[in-house]
Amino acid sequence: MRLARVRAIAWKEWREILRDRLFFTMAFVVPLLIMLVLGYGLSLDVENIPFAVVDHDRSEASRAYIQRFSGSRYFDFVGYVERDADLQPLLADSRIRLGLVIPARFERRLRGDRPVEVQALIDGMFPFRAQTTKGYLEAIDAEANRELLGDFLKRRKGLTVSRAARVVAPVRLAQRYLYNQAIESRWSIGSGLMMLVLMVSPPFLTALGVVREKESGSIYNIFASTVTRGEFILGKLLPYVGVSCLNILLLWLIATQLFGAPFKGDPLFFFLASLVYVVCTAGIGLLVSILVTTQVAAVLLTMVVTFIPAMLYSGLLVPVESMSADARMQAYLFPPRYFLEIVWGSFLKGLGWTDLWVPVAVLAGYAALLWSIGLLAFHKRPRR
Amino acid sequence: MSLLRVRGFGKRYRRVVAVDGVDLEVSRGEIFGLIGPDGAGKSSLMKAVSGVLRFERGAIEVFGVSLDSEASAERIKDRIGFMPQGLGLNLYPDLSVEENIDFLASLRLVPPARLAERKRRLLAMTRLAPFRGRAMKHLSGGMKQKLGLVCTLIHEPELVILDEPTTGVDPLSRRDFWTILTELLRDRAITALVSTAYLDEASRFHRLALMHQGRVLDRGEPDAIVARSGGSLVRFRAADQRAALARLRGRFPQIEARGRLLRVFVPERDPERARARVAAALEGLSVDALEADEPELEDAFIALLARRGDAGVKEEAPRIPSFAPVADDEAVMIEARELCRDFGDFRAVDHVSFRVRRGEIFGLLGANGAGKTTVIKMLTGILPPSAGGGRIAGIEMGGGGSPALAIRQRIGYMSQAFSLYQDLSAIENIRLYAGIHGLHGPALRERAAWVLALAGLRGFENARAGRLPMGLRQRLALGCALVHRPRVLFLDEPTSGVDPLGRRRFWEILLDLSRRQGVTILITTHYMSEAEHCDHLALMHAGRLVADKTPDALREELRREAGRLLELRVDRPLAALERLQGRYEGVSLHGPRIHLFAPSLEAAGVDIRARLESAGLKLISLREREPGMEDVFVYRMRALEREARA
Repeated sequence: MRLARVRAIAWKEWREILRDRLFFTMAFVVPLLIMLVLGYGLSLDVENIPFAVVDHDRSEASRAYIQRFSGSRYFDFVGYVERDADLQPLLADSRIRLGLVIPARFERRLRGDRPVEVQALIDGMFPFRAQTTKGYLEAIDAEANRELLGDFLKRRKGLTVSRAARVVAPVRLAQRYLYNQAIESRWSIGSGLMMLVLMVSPPFLTALGVVREKESGSIYNIFASTVTRGEFILGKLLPYVGVSCLNILLLWLIATQLFGAPFKGDPLFFFLASLVYVVCTAGIGLLVSILVTTQVAAVLLTMVVTFIPAMLYSGLLVPVESMSADARMQAYLFPPRYFLEIVWGSFLKGLGWTDLWVPVAVLAGYAALLWSIGLLAFHKRPRR
Repeated sequence: MSLLRVRGFGKRYRRVVAVDGVDLEVSRGEIFGLIGPDGAGKSSLMKAVSGVLRFERGAIEVFGVSLDSEASAERIKDRIGFMPQGLGLNLYPDLSVEENIDFLASLRLVPPARLAERKRRLLAMTRLAPFRGRAMKHLSGGMKQKLGLVCTLIHEPELVILDEPTTGVDPLSRRDFWTILTELLRDRAITALVSTAYLDEASRFHRLALMHQGRVLDRGEPDAIVARSGGSLVRFRAADQRAALARLRGRFPQIEARGRLLRVFVPERDPERARARVAAALEGLSVDALEADEPELEDAFIALLARRGDAGVKEEAPRIPSFAPVADDEAVMIEARELCRDFGDFRAVDHVSFRVRRGEIFGLLGANGAGKTTVIKMLTGILPPSAGGGRIAGIEMGGGGSPALAIRQRIGYMSQAFSLYQDLSAIENIRLYAGIHGLHGPALRERAAWVLALAGLRGFENARAGRLPMGLRQRLALGCALVHRPRVLFLDEPTSGVDPLGRRRFWEILLDLSRRQGVTILITTHYMSEAEHCDHLALMHAGRLVADKTPDALREELRREAGRLLELRVDRPLAALERLQGRYEGVSLHGPRIHLFAPSLEAAGVDIRARLESAGLKLISLREREPGMEDVFVYRMRALEREARA
C-alpha cells in the first residue's frame, strides 16, 4: 500500500466532485433536498380532518354535539349539507374525509333519556388515516356520553358536577408520552430521515464514481498501472466518506434547527456511529459498481437496493415490531434499521455507547463484510 | 529479441468469439501495427496484452512474463503504457492538462524532479505547453489525443500499447502523433503496439498484422504482405468510365473507381504483364495514363479476403436498382451561404459557404469537432443556424413550418450511428422509415423491395438490425434514407469502422446513385482515401471551410506550392530523418521509408544523396509518389497554423 497513490486518487476524485456540476449537486444538494422535501411532506400526524354534517334535528343539542368536533384540532368543519345523499360527492372528491348524519329528534330523544344513533361515514381509502379518525371520533363521542351521564346523575341523584364525573369514570388514565412529549411526528421523522439520506446518498456517489470511470474508459489508467485494488478503492472511498461527513453535520443541523427535533444524546458517539453507517452504505455502492457497467444501471440498482429498504423496512414509517414476519426479517437484513435505532436513541432518548453499542457493532460488521466482498470482487483484469 | 509473444490467443464474450488463434511477435524497438475494421478483435487483443482483460485461450508473454493470472499481469504494468480507444476518454474532463498529467504520474510514482523534466519535454513536443491550465474538456480532439499520449508516456514505459490513437483525429494531429512516436523510437528506444482502422497508415509500421473478424489474415512487413498478395495494380483514366467498367467486370475481381481514376487489381506479379492484360481488355477504348504498380495494402487486404473465400468478394457486381428521384430543373441542389452556428460563446461553424450541383458528390472532410455534423444538421433543418442561410433542392431553408417539411421530403439523411432501430428487423426498419414518410400499400411494398435489393439484404429480411454484419447494416441504413426517393442525400460518416470491402461496395452504390440516377450527395468522412471519390471536397477546420476544389486541382495546387512528394529508402531511416529535417518540407518517417517535399526529383536527388553519404548513410531508392488527400490537407493546415501565428 503506497499512501502517495491513495492520496493522488483521493485528491483527483475530490477535485472532480467539486468541479463536475452534476457530481457536486449529487454530493451536496440532493441529500439536503431529500431531507427537506420528505421532512416537510412526510407527516404522519392526522389533523384537520375535513368533515361535513347533515343535521336533521337542527337543535341546540345537535349543534353542541357538532361543536365538540369542529372545536377540536383534529377536525375541520367544512359545512352543513341538506340531504344524506349530498355527502357522497363530497367524500368522492376528497373534499371531506368524514360525514356525520344527525337524525331528527336527536334532542328530544336525549332529553327523554333514550338512545340515539349518529351515523359517521369515514373515508377508508387510507386505512391508517381511517383508523386514526375512528379513534378520535370514539374519544370525542365517549366524552360526550360521559357528560350526558354526569348530567343524568346530577338531575336524578342530585350529585355535584365533579362528583358525578368521578362516578361516571371511576378509573382515570393518566397518560404521559416519553421521548417525544408532544408526539410531534416531525421530531421522529426529521431525525429519522438522516437514516434515509445517508442510506441513499453515499452509495450513489460511490457507485457512480466508479462506474463513470468504467463507462468512459479512464478505469484503464488504474487497470494498466501498478496501483493496487486496495489503493484504488481506498482512494475512491475517502472523498465520498469526507463528503458524507459534511452531510452528517448539515443534516443534523436541519433536523435540530429546522425541524426542531431535540438532540439529547452524546454528539461524539452519534457522529462516530454515523461515520460507521456511511462507510457501510458506501460499501453498497461499491458492490453495485462492480455488478454493472453503465451509469444508468448503477442509478437504478442503487435506487432499488437503498431506497426501498430505507423507506419500508427501517421502521421509519411502520414500527419493525408490528411488521409481518417476513417483512421483519428483511428489516433485520438491511442496515437502516440499526442506524434508525441509533438515531432515535441519540436524538430522543439520550442514549450513548452503553446502550447502543450493539447496532454500531452490527453496522461495523456490515461495513467490513461489504468492503471485503468489494475488494475481492474488484478485478484489474476483468472478463470483459 | 521478442518483447511480446502471443500464441494461439483467443477471447470470447459470452457466446461471441471476438478473437481466435492469433499468433504475434513484437521485437524491441519496433512499431508494430494491428490493422483491421471495427470488430476485428484488435481492442481485445491489446487489452489482453496490457494485462487488463482476462482471456481463455492461448498464451501471452510480455517481457518474458506469462500473463496467466492477475498477479502475474501486475508484474509487467510498471513497464507498459496503455491508451484505450476513444479520444481522450481515459482522461478526466474536469482536470486541467497539467493536473491530468500529474495525476497519471503520481499513479506511477514518478519522482517530482523527473516529472518536471519529462512534462516540459513532452508538452513541448506535443505543442500543448500553452494549454497547461486548460480543462481537458475544452481541448480539441487532436489535442485530447496528444494529451492522452503524454499521459501514457509520462512514466517512460518500455512498451506502449495504443488502441486506435488516430481515429477521428484531424490529419495534422495525426501527423504530429506519428512524429512524436518516431522521436520516441529514436531517442528512447521505445516499442509500440498500435492499432488503426486506416489501411493507409500501414506504411508507418515496421511490421503489422492484418486482422479481420477475429483472425490474423497475414502479418509481416507491409511490403512483404503486399508482395504476398501476388498481384499488381493497374491504374488508368478512361474517357468513358462506364464502358471501361463494363469491359473489366467479370475479368478482374477487384475494380475500383476513385474519382476519374480506375484501379484494377490484377493477380499477376509482374507489373508489365499486368498492364498488358488490362490494356488488352480495354482494346478500342480511349484510355489515358495506363500505369502498373505494386498494389496498396487495401488491395492486398481484399485479395487476401478473396483467397480465404470470403463471400462478399466473389459476389457478382452488385446490381443497383434505379429509382428515379423526382426530376426538377434546379442546377444547384445544395447551397450554403455564410452559415454560422454558435453554442454559447463557442462558434462551431463560422461563415461556411459552398454549392453542390445536381448529381455531384461533395465531400466534407475534417476531424471530430471541426463542425461537419453541425453543418449537416443546419442544412437538413434539424438545427437552426445562428446566421446565414441556404437553399436545399430549390427550397429556401430557415422558413420553418411547411418549407422545412418540404425540405425534409426531398432529402435523405444517414447519421454516424446508422440511425437504425437495433431491435427491429431489417424489414421492420424499412417499413418504419417508409411509414414516417407517408408511404403505404403497394407503394410501400415496391419501395421496400427496392431497398432490400439495393442493400443486398435478401435472405436477411427478418434478421435484427443490430445483429447484421457492419457492411449490411450500413447499406440498410442507406436504403432507409432513400426510401422516399429523395433528390439530395446527406451522409454523416457513413463508413466509419466498416471494413474495406464493405466500404468499396458502399461507394459503388453511391457512385451509381450520383452518376446514373442524378442524386446529389453530401458526405463527411475522415478516411482521406475516400476523398478521392468526391467531385469536389472541402476541408473543415475549427468551424471554417478550408479549400473547396476537385481532388486533382488540390493536388496540382500542392505541387505548385510545396513541390513534389518524394519517397526514399535508406538503410538507417532514423539517422537519415535527422539529416533531412530542416532542409526539406514535410519530412516524415513511414516505417522504413521517408517522405518529403522537394521542387523536383532530379535536383533533390543529387542533394539528398550527397547529404546522406556525408553522414555515412546509404540511399537505397528514391522515387516520386502521387500525394494523397492527407498530404494536401496536412500542408494546407500547416499553412493556416503559420498564418494564425503570424
